[in-house]
Amino acid sequence: MEPVVSVRNLVNAFGTFRVHDQLCLEIMPGEIVGIVGGSGTGKSVLMRSILGLRRPQAGDIRVLGHDVYGSGPGPQQYWGVLFQKGALLSALTVRQNVELPIALHSDMPAATRRELAELKVRMTGLPVSALDKYPSELSGGMVKRAALARALAREPRILFLDEPTAGLDPIGATEFDKLVTYLQSSLNLTIVMVTHDVDSLFGICDRVAVLVDKKVVIGTLDELTQSQHPWIHDYFNDPRARRAQQMENTNGREH
Amino acid sequence: MENAFLNADRDTDSVTVSLKGDWVFGNVQDLESALADVDASGASAVTFQCGGLQNIDIAGAWVLFRKSQNFETTGCDTDFRGFKAAHFKFLKNVTQAGGSSIATDHEAAPRVPRQRAQDALESLGKAATSGLQDIGFIAMTILQGITKPSKLAVRETVRQVYQTGVQAIPIISLISFLMGVVVAYQGANQLAKFGADIFVVDLVTISILREMGVIMAAIMVAGRSGSAFAASLGVMKLNEELDALRVMGLNPNQVLVAPRLIGLIIALPLLTVFADLAGLAGGLFLSVTLLDISAVQFIDRAANSADLTTLFVGLVKAPVFAFLIGAVGTLRGLQVTSSAEQLGRLTTTAVVQAIALIIAADAVFTIIFIRLGI
Repeated sequence: MEPVVSVRNLVNAFGTFRVHDQLCLEIMPGEIVGIVGGSGTGKSVLMRSILGLRRPQAGDIRVLGHDVYGSGPGPQQYWGVLFQKGALLSALTVRQNVELPIALHSDMPAATRRELAELKVRMTGLPVSALDKYPSELSGGMVKRAALARALAREPRILFLDEPTAGLDPIGATEFDKLVTYLQSSLNLTIVMVTHDVDSLFGICDRVAVLVDKKVVIGTLDELTQSQHPWIHDYFNDPRARRAQQMENTNGREH
Repeated sequence: MENAFLNADRDTDSVTVSLKGDWVFGNVQDLESALADVDASGASAVTFQCGGLQNIDIAGAWVLFRKSQNFETTGCDTDFRGFKAAHFKFLKNVTQAGGSSIATDHEAAPRVPRQRAQDALESLGKAATSGLQDIGFIAMTILQGITKPSKLAVRETVRQVYQTGVQAIPIISLISFLMGVVVAYQGANQLAKFGADIFVVDLVTISILREMGVIMAAIMVAGRSGSAFAASLGVMKLNEELDALRVMGLNPNQVLVAPRLIGLIIALPLLTVFADLAGLAGGLFLSVTLLDISAVQFIDRAANSADLTTLFVGLVKAPVFAFLIGAVGTLRGLQVTSSAEQLGRLTTTAVVQAIALIIAADAVFTIIFIRLGI
């Protein structure tokens, strides 16, 4: 099976300080992968590099076989991205925001586009009344849902989520996790998420990529809990992580 | 030697310091002076003993650790003995966290004047190269905006012309009208002394068409739209909206920056026409009401004193001023990286720099026109 995301020998540096050094990462189709790491280990930098927002000093990054920094067509129309603060365009309504990516790469008639945008918004559990509101009129949780609707608008095959549950209350966060797993299983998406939320990690991730020593260690939660590496060991055996794990074992995985 | 916080005993070539009392945050100043009194000159080793130490926190441990580092740099070995685990845990924290910052304390040598001059030249060079880069960036953006217009960019350009141009017509007309009144009144006061009231018309027509109309329009637009460019792009940047556009495969320079620049370059000459007309109307209004010049006389005289060149001399400045306002506004907006505080500062900078550049460019235009004899 071809990996959906393949990062090879990535080097990212600020001046002489290397954040990533010969980092490699492969993500397979249909996986939900969490990216974790201590502060300053370059989680966001890694994500931005994969998304084509920060050209790395060296390395090869391919998403669905497209070279992200190559001259040919990029993978932009096959991915959806949910930014940490939603990043809805503030000058446009929710409807226009969701329609924008649809309009960009297709000549769909306006009526169809409109219906499709409404469908995506409904899928994310947002009331239809929110469609004609501006982002500034929505609550934090609603902005995230609207941004997710936009990320899903162009039928992406891979979804990138940057701290999807940050800033949501625990109930909102749990609902969001459920939504993500539901979408993943029904649309057969590959999902990559940067997260600090241990409940999300244990709740929905198949594998977790840990940024340590300027590289990535990737494995299932069971493997990582057994890891001998001090940071990984501490992170996954932290009391809060333990509790999240126990909760998950008693409830059973949701998908 | 003894004081409230320590006893220092001197052997032949070693000093033993036993601590006592509370080595805590509230006592830091006294602790420093107590430690400063410890004389270790000529000694080869200093030993700190826990002794009668009651409490120690990170601040106290830091003072102690820093002193031990000082001893080490003068060639003394230092040693800590008898500290309880709880105390020592603090000290260990401090040793691990503090190592590098001590080194930088010593490195920060005072700047000599020559170094300062060098730094100033260096920052001047950097400003010059980044300025050139900025000009290149803006020129490229406009060029791309013109050569590769997308449907989205065209729509945005139209919106910008509406917002920066059409919506500004009332305020700019009003201000220019008042300027026309003021110029006419001041001129009439002086010219009446020579019985040359009718020359007020020439004064108003030429000053409004050549200078005042375009300057008033440009300054109002700098305040209205230059700040709006910086603020809107800055907010979008803070809100990751520019990144969101990029991951959709859109270039924010093409869909946001270029439309603003092109829109303003279209809008400002049009606004200048309105400003010119309103300014002349102001002059006409004052002449008719306060001076004994009829509307017909005014129009006739104005048509004689000004020709198309006069109008053109004013209008040709408008796109240049628009470019300056747009370039400064968008660049400052794109420079926002971190905080709302920075956004406010850069927005202010954008307006101040835009107005300063407008006046400077106007002076350059004047010199050019004098040389050309226009």
